[in-house]
Amino acid sequence: MSGRDGRAGQDVLRRVGEASVLILISLADGPKHGYALIQDIKELAGVELGPGTLYGALDRLERLGLIESLPADDRRHPYRITAPGAAALRVHLESLERVSAAGRLRLQLGGI
Amino acid sequence: MDESRATRLVQNALRCYPARWRRRHGEEAAELAALLLRDGTPAGSIAFSYLAGATREWLTPRPGRRLRLAACALLVTAGSLGLSGGLLPSTAPARAAVTSQPHGPAHCRPGPPEPGPGVIPAIGGPHVIGWETGHGRAC
Repeated sequence: MSGRDGRAGQDVLRRVGEASVLILISLADGPKHGYALIQDIKELAGVELGPGTLYGALDRLERLGLIESLPADDRRHPYRITAPGAAALRVHLESLERVSAAGRLRLQLGGI
Repeated sequence: MDESRATRLVQNALRCYPARWRRRHGEEAAELAALLLRDGTPAGSIAFSYLAGATREWLTPRPGRRLRLAACALLVTAGSLGLSGGLLPSTAPARAAVTSQPHGPAHCRPGPPEPGPGVIPAIGGPHVIGWETGHGRAC
């Protein structure tokens, strides 16, 4: 999958890093600008993204076509998840669910 | 840290980004830093995050940057080839002199002149003196 077409099946988010995944999750319910993203991710996952990390991840996601920048509102650029971005996030979350279910099952079987 | 110093620190960190990045995100990043400072985030931590981001930004290969690097490398290679090509003719006579020495007449060869009768040759003396103090004949 090239990342831009958003075909289901392959997990393109596996290698983009946690910050990028958290940004996509935060954008899943609507467009947000940088400050709102930092606040939302702090609330959602307890992770405080540094502004440098945030812009690095936003650039990467935009290059991959997973998010897009909307026209500036004052000096702030809101970002929106694209259709390929939503598809990629869905695939990634399903993959995480499978791994997490397998992990829980093995813990049960192991009796730990 | 007072507000103006904190702002200056963050602005200095933002200056470390490439110009292209600053054109795209500069104002927004400064605004975001101001909001984070207002919330009580330490200026040092914001500046450090931007510095780390700037380092990553410079180190991340971009298609345009790769092309520029390749062009620079090509220019340097061409320049060094041209330079060595220019040096070759200038060193040729010197090499020719060195290689032709054994074939020339004995009085043109480098080395000490034949000692005259009763003259003890200096051991390990500089040979070039012998070349310059030949018989005064053009070689």
